[in-house]
Amino acid sequence: MTSPLAAPTAQPTVARLSVHGLEVRYGEALAVAGVDLEVAAGTAVAVLGANGAGKSSLAAAIVGAVPVARGRVHIDGTDVTAWAAHRVARLGIAFVPEGRGIFPHLSVADNLRALLRAAVEPAERADALGRALSTFPVLRDRARQLAGTLSGGEQQMLALARVLAAPPRLLVADEMSLGLAPKLVDLVFESLARAKAQGVTILLVEQYVDRALELADTAVVLRQGRVDWHGPSTEAREHAVSGYLGGG
Amino acid sequence: MSALLAARGVTVRFGGVTALDDVSVEVGPAGISGLIGPNGAGKSTLFAVLSGLQRPGGGRVELDGADITRHSPQRRARLGVARTFQRLELFGELTVRDHVVLAHRVRHQRRNLLRDLVGLGRRTNATETDAVDGTLELLGLAAIAHQPVHSLPLGTGRLVEVARAVATDPRVVLLDEPSSGLDPSDTARLAAVIAALRDDRHLAVLLVEHDVEMVLGLADDVTVLDFGRVIARGTPDEIRGDAAVQTAYLGSAE
Amino acid sequence: MLIFLVAGLVAGCVYAVAAVGLVLTYSSSRIFNFAHGEIAFFVAITFHWLAFSHGMNRFLAGAIAAFVVSPLIGLGLWAGLFRKLTHAPPAVRLVATVGLFVAIGPLSRIVFGTEQIQDLRGLGPYPHHNYSWLGVPLDSDQIIVLVTTILLAVALVLLLRYTAFGLSVRATVDAPSLASTAGINVAVVSAGSWMIGTTLAGISGIMLAPLRGYLDSQFTFLILGAFAGVVIARMHSLPLAFAGSLLVGVVQNLIRWKPIEDVINHVVNRDSVWVRGLQPSLPFLIMLAFLVCYRGLGRERFVVDNRRGTEEPDLLADAAPEADVAAVDPARGPSPSADATTVGRWRRLARTPPGGLVFLAAAWLFLPLWLHGSRALWLGLAGKGLCVAIIALSYTVVAGEGGLISLCQITFAGIGGLLVGQLVVNNNMSVLAATALAVVIVVPIGLLAALPSLRLGDLYVALATLAFAELVQNTWFQLDGISNFGSGVPVPRPKIGPIAFGGDTAFFRLVLIVFVLVAIVVRNMQRSTTGLTLAATRSSEVASATMGISIVRAKLVAFGLSAAIAALGGAFYVQYARVAQPIEFLWPFGLVWLAIVVTWGVRSPTAALLAGTLYAVTPDVFSSLLHLQGKWLEVPGLMFGLGALGLAREPRGALVQIREGRRGKQRRRSAKRDQRTAAVA
Repeated sequence: MTSPLAAPTAQPTVARLSVHGLEVRYGEALAVAGVDLEVAAGTAVAVLGANGAGKSSLAAAIVGAVPVARGRVHIDGTDVTAWAAHRVARLGIAFVPEGRGIFPHLSVADNLRALLRAAVEPAERADALGRALSTFPVLRDRARQLAGTLSGGEQQMLALARVLAAPPRLLVADEMSLGLAPKLVDLVFESLARAKAQGVTILLVEQYVDRALELADTAVVLRQGRVDWHGPSTEAREHAVSGYLGGG
Repeated sequence: MSALLAARGVTVRFGGVTALDDVSVEVGPAGISGLIGPNGAGKSTLFAVLSGLQRPGGGRVELDGADITRHSPQRRARLGVARTFQRLELFGELTVRDHVVLAHRVRHQRRNLLRDLVGLGRRTNATETDAVDGTLELLGLAAIAHQPVHSLPLGTGRLVEVARAVATDPRVVLLDEPSSGLDPSDTARLAAVIAALRDDRHLAVLLVEHDVEMVLGLADDVTVLDFGRVIARGTPDEIRGDAAVQTAYLGSAE
Repeated sequence: MLIFLVAGLVAGCVYAVAAVGLVLTYSSSRIFNFAHGEIAFFVAITFHWLAFSHGMNRFLAGAIAAFVVSPLIGLGLWAGLFRKLTHAPPAVRLVATVGLFVAIGPLSRIVFGTEQIQDLRGLGPYPHHNYSWLGVPLDSDQIIVLVTTILLAVALVLLLRYTAFGLSVRATVDAPSLASTAGINVAVVSAGSWMIGTTLAGISGIMLAPLRGYLDSQFTFLILGAFAGVVIARMHSLPLAFAGSLLVGVVQNLIRWKPIEDVINHVVNRDSVWVRGLQPSLPFLIMLAFLVCYRGLGRERFVVDNRRGTEEPDLLADAAPEADVAAVDPARGPSPSADATTVGRWRRLARTPPGGLVFLAAAWLFLPLWLHGSRALWLGLAGKGLCVAIIALSYTVVAGEGGLISLCQITFAGIGGLLVGQLVVNNNMSVLAATALAVVIVVPIGLLAALPSLRLGDLYVALATLAFAELVQNTWFQLDGISNFGSGVPVPRPKIGPIAFGGDTAFFRLVLIVFVLVAIVVRNMQRSTTGLTLAATRSSEVASATMGISIVRAKLVAFGLSAAIAALGGAFYVQYARVAQPIEFLWPFGLVWLAIVVTWGVRSPTAALLAGTLYAVTPDVFSSLLHLQGKWLEVPGLMFGLGALGLAREPRGALVQIREGRRGKQRRRSAKRDQRTAAVA
């Protein structure tokens, strides 16, 4: 049970991310109630489950954005459980929070500068910014525009450009397809696949089960803050669907 | 059948994001209407529009045929529109009973500041006591009536939210994700309460839920939202078989 | 005209530097520093002490005061206090800085001596040199202000736009939790912003001193101008804060330009108080005008609240793109659980058992038996304390029940007290009838004072009530008839039929009865539907509105009732003093009262009694009883301020803490007993 999700191809080395007995509380409410999971380097895991199952809280706790009530989080063997979020980020962990992972009142270019700061050595920052801006042409066109005025899809492109320009050690992406039109959802998943091809390890919180499972190697289904099922993504669909549509 | 509460062609935009795009939904005059849709589909925004917390950019809200689009939240409440909140909005230091008593008095008691200051109005009023006890009984909260709400677990807090809404003697109740974060036994209890609101109190209920099974089990009719638009409408059985709904939830390309 | 324009720009520059500092600290830590002007004062005094008491080179002294002392103050305040307050409820954050405001004055007198500095020397040469540039007369001090401000503005723009630290600041202000997951150390950013903020306060202080002198009271001008700029900027826009402050300075001075002055004099009588009061009040008039304009935006709060409540609860906290006008939403911080506990503690303000009040009131009844003869002084002071305690009960209503931090309760008290003086002298009314009439008159005034801020957040309530206090102080309080040319209007003590309350003992008993009656009214209110309604509104405006409660009405009730209580207290206060004098009712004293009340517990009438008594008695304990002199007499003021700062630890006030401490002991004792019994068994 300690490594339920080790991918079949994983080396017998330390996992990129390993989570043991993780609990997250908000006052009285227990949002995550003892979750174990491991992600091997270079693989992608999909975290599925209904709204309120604790997916977002799990993601946020891994990157240090909400405090961990109990349990451990290790990244490449380093215990980061009690670390402040900015220290975790400086390990090369990228987090795209639910909603939009952008600074609405900063320009597109400043957004990328702020998001790339921790990910890139000072000398390479200018290059990384250039790469990010050329990932999606629309970003270069609007580099000086405030990010809050971009459409929902363009805002997610901004978040994705940061990931593609400086591949992080681990990407924790929370509901990036939220509220997007189908074409843009395609774009998000294509970009995530590109990131994975570049060797990025991905923890993907998603509601679009089929899309998430196409990308992921393994999957976890959460229910009531606990792991309800885990295993290879090819077998995950029926378990995940029962959580949403009651077997429909 | 003319609807009790209706949104007609409602549109809401936040910055560059369209949260609701020409959405129409009807509730009542009695029975449970379900509203489902994936995360971010605009369900909570629609609730805000119906309860008056969010002015729509376009479209109208009607209660019993009258246009209430520009009515304030409290005016709508006094006309009989009550709601609960997904993220609990309880009055931390008050007890469970205080919540119900206050809700009852807001609707039924003439406000009298002078009496409150001199301290004469404290004699218990039989009608009020009966009504309050009845609501607490209905929600199964009688045993913890005198506990302050800040010490309650989440599931009980949700029931207090429902109790507070019901105690205003509304004509229509909007329930915003009442089962989120509840364990199965609490969810079952909640479903029974919602059914009782329809069957015993003859209220119109609009139920927003992520627990699709609960909605399909309870509701008389169901509306499905996806990225701000209505993509399906029908009886629970029709919705169960609807391909568009499957796609919306699972994101299948097919 | 040019001379006034230049004077206006210079004043505006000083306001602007202070305002930009305020906005910076506010947007990075959500704490609005009411003590900003006091910090400016402290730094200016430090500069004066270094340069003129110790003969240091003026520029070196200025540099040390501005760039060493000021940032250290900012760092110290952040580390010791404000770091912990970022997630506290808005009211606590506000009151803590009020405590700082109260504490800094006495502290500076303890450190630098109690003598007022009558000096106009500053950075520039003294007496200053006069120049003329393109026909515009300028003196050396004005040139220093203009040049310094331009240099600071350029430096700030460069810092914020083009440095890594600036980017971090902007990112943190925009979305704190995203900034921290992007690798920005938010704590460092916020500490840095505080250091820059206090540095700007310090520089504005050093610039202001040669223009206005090193007097505590002159620095309120600075802060009032800066507050107006900040309100114009809606708390977050640095360029608007800068421009708004300049506007305030210019308008304030342009009204002295002959053509405009003629128009004003044409409308109102020349040299009337209304004209004299106009200039100092202008920042607040401008601020009120903007508040009224922004009032319509109050509805946005609902939207923000609603967005915060959508979908999964945890991470949307700062995803709302609209800048919150109210801007003081405690749930926007990055750590929801820490948040929840502080808010919970504040909300769980326990009610004092009535036993405490009954016991204290009974004990007070016997005070006259002990305090007579050589101790009679203390009975008089205890009577004064009761009058202040009645006014303190008005805080119990407006702040404790209504959750509104009003800074003009003392003004309501003043209007009440001064009206009694007028009615008694001019209309030959009996004191008690005048008291009753004054209370009735003050209620609509209280409602009027509340109007501009009803739809805005807590911070705007504080600012609008402060504006109201300043306006009344600059105009009505200044009327010769009201102040009786500075000597005050004599007010007799009351008489009911054959019973006269002229002596201290009789008057003490009368005021005690009045206090108890008001306390009973406040308790009734707390337990009635009105109390429930206020508690609901305080906890969640959204839920209250959607269940049919009118939030505007609830707030008006709190304001109106508190104004009436304050006026009643003020009426008895002038009877105690036997004279009605405006100078007793200036708002800085009101801040001291507020600090003491919240220190003991803002929800409890018992705390109001203790607060009033302490305020009245403590200074004499130091002077008459302990025979202390000089700077030691500043210690009570310092204590009052520090008490409010202690709220960071226990927002519910000291009484609750004491009671819980006792209960904790009892629990531990009974636990031990249980253990022993278990051991025996």
